[in-house]
Amino acid sequence: MTPLGALEASALGQAMRQWMWLYPSVEIAHIVGIALLFGSIAVLDLRLLGVWKRVPVKALAAQVLPWSAASFVLIVPSGLMMFVAHASDFIASPVFVLKMCLIMAAGVNAAAFHAITFRTVDVWDSEGMRKLVPPPSARLAGALSLALWVSVIACGRLLAYY
Amino acid sequence: MLAHHGWSEYDSATTLKLTGKIVESGYEHPHGHVRLETPGKTWTVVLAPPSRMERRGLEKAMLTPGAEASVEGYANRGKPEELRAERITIGGKTFELR
Repeated sequence: MTPLGALEASALGQAMRQWMWLYPSVEIAHIVGIALLFGSIAVLDLRLLGVWKRVPVKALAAQVLPWSAASFVLIVPSGLMMFVAHASDFIASPVFVLKMCLIMAAGVNAAAFHAITFRTVDVWDSEGMRKLVPPPSARLAGALSLALWVSVIACGRLLAYY
Repeated sequence: MLAHHGWSEYDSATTLKLTGKIVESGYEHPHGHVRLETPGKTWTVVLAPPSRMERRGLEKAMLTPGAEASVEGYANRGKPEELRAERITIGGKTFELR
């Protein structure tokens, strides 16, 4: 048996396919997690694009990013459970592969933002500078983040179609 | 088996009616299915989510291999052996699946 076939044949895979309410419950957890992730991240992304200039970026990031991080507690286990139920179908789906690549790209974008642009946040988020549009690198990070997460959501939905 | 909302891939211009013997079944998420052996061809028939089938009285035990069943539905344009069933008749009772 292939490793993917073994995953599908596992007790968890069988339960996901056969228990009446498990699969829909897991889907709900996944969607709630996505709503939390996208909602919290979009607030910061919009701020980086220049919306709500009176709100300090640093304080906003400190408030919303823990929620973004926490959302993965809902998203990852539920996603893995759905994966186990139909592992070989998912791996064979180009939409699934694209979705995983986009998630990685979103992660790289966030990491690059924190490693580079956010280091100088005290400068461009200072009281004098705050009313200006954030620097181009910050706007780029915000725009990329929004575009990537919308694409991830689109891929997730399109998985049911392709 | 993954596809669970993309109805456009099925050719709804032509309704097919198949009668045969169930050779395999899955009362599974996201959609149940049966393999239906008809003269000359064995079809994979996509049914409905198990929760809906149960609510409409189509129980798991009714989809046992060996049972005779008739289905009405639409063939998949890309997978010529796959049919999405609109309804299934089994044991003299018809169950709507949509």
